[in-house]
Amino acid sequence: MIASYSGSLRLVAPDTLLRRIVAVLLLAGLSGCGAINRIPTLDEQVKAAWSQVLNQYQRRSDLIPNLVEAVKGYARHEQETLTAVTEARAKATQMVIPPDILTNPEAFKRFQENQAALQGALSRLLAVAESYPDLKANQNFLSLQSQLEGTENRIAVARRDYIETVQTYNTELRTIPGRWIAAIFYPDAKVKETFTISEQAQEAPKVKF
Amino acid sequence: MRFPVLFARLFVPYIALSIVVGAAWAAEPHFPPLTGRVVDEAGILSAATEEKLTAMLAAHEQATGEQVVVVTLASLQGWSIEDLGYRLGRAWGIGEKGKNTGALVIIAPKERAVRIEVGYGLEGKLTDALSRAIIERDLVPAFRQRDFDRGVLAGTQAVLGALGGEPKATAVPAERSQQDDPLSALFLLILIFFVVFAVFGRRGHWVGPVIGGIWSAGGRSSNGDFGGFSGGGGSFGGGGASGRW
Repeated sequence: MIASYSGSLRLVAPDTLLRRIVAVLLLAGLSGCGAINRIPTLDEQVKAAWSQVLNQYQRRSDLIPNLVEAVKGYARHEQETLTAVTEARAKATQMVIPPDILTNPEAFKRFQENQAALQGALSRLLAVAESYPDLKANQNFLSLQSQLEGTENRIAVARRDYIETVQTYNTELRTIPGRWIAAIFYPDAKVKETFTISEQAQEAPKVKF
Repeated sequence: MRFPVLFARLFVPYIALSIVVGAAWAAEPHFPPLTGRVVDEAGILSAATEEKLTAMLAAHEQATGEQVVVVTLASLQGWSIEDLGYRLGRAWGIGEKGKNTGALVIIAPKERAVRIEVGYGLEGKLTDALSRAIIERDLVPAFRQRDFDRGVLAGTQAVLGALGGEPKATAVPAERSQQDDPLSALFLLILIFFVVFAVFGRRGHWVGPVIGGIWSAGGRSSNGDFGGFSGGGGSFGGGGASGRW
């Protein structure tokens, strides 16, 4: 491939020529379209989307102690459900998130599973709450419930945004010219993990009016 | 392999990818155009109500810089109102860019669904719990009696009341992304082609079509102007509350 260039180009030594071709190709092909900066730009977008996901999960986790407290007062017989929520929350918040979680399939899977387990426990708690009319009339509970619903919705949005940005990033990394650019300039760039547990499975129970 | 062939190989996948990505965006639901602060696609509001709402919302933006838009939708197109709401807010770019100070009151009479969609920047003032309270107190009871005018007026008033009338802070100049600027991209391209000529010292017949191809692939259409009112580029993250009647 390299040798064939010298056929159409005279007056330049093959060695220098190769360097010039590489330099010109890179300049022309990459900076012209902003492609050379695409991988770090997308990488930052993925990081931002991920911190939004973490924020929203944190927000949910912060709401739970108050929710458990509110339910406790009315539904003393539901000790088991309450304990399950508290335990699932502890498991989710105690998980040490490694800095490389986005490129670490095992850690990412564990993170997903912990959050899904918490989701399940919370759904059961809210379903149980339905059968306590006094609880359902309690203003504090209603306020917590609407905050929890809003947070679940924010989690869904943040997850979707994350999935979309990762898709763009991974596509860039796997297709040409992004693949070549990454090989030359960003050898550390790795394909990132994305959510596999479906959103439906994660959805909070909707409150009926 | 000749130089033009290699050059084309560099760009064809890039252009093809842009087309594929462009097609993926088309999977979004269809939204009505942002014709004003009140977009009554479902046709449930009287002209007098629309006028009152518009005046209220304009005065609020004047005072605070926050954009609130009331929209009625003919159909949710099979989407849930939560899924559609933040997408609509993002598509219209309601709220100030960077501060995300926008909110939507969305009514879908066909699906009997209502939602207050709150931009990132207003979530602290117009909380989920407050949004829910407004929906249940002002919007849903009136809607049950088919009195949309009364419900929307009371609900919007309550939303503006919750937001309050903080004086407008000095506007932050909108950031310009270099990647989206076709002029600087063109400038770079011209520069690069000069370098190409300098190195190879001769003109090729392929230069014209390649420039044309890159130029048309790189050009992006900007959002249309809506004459008088348009979104400020704010974003939404799913805050707010929904209700049904």
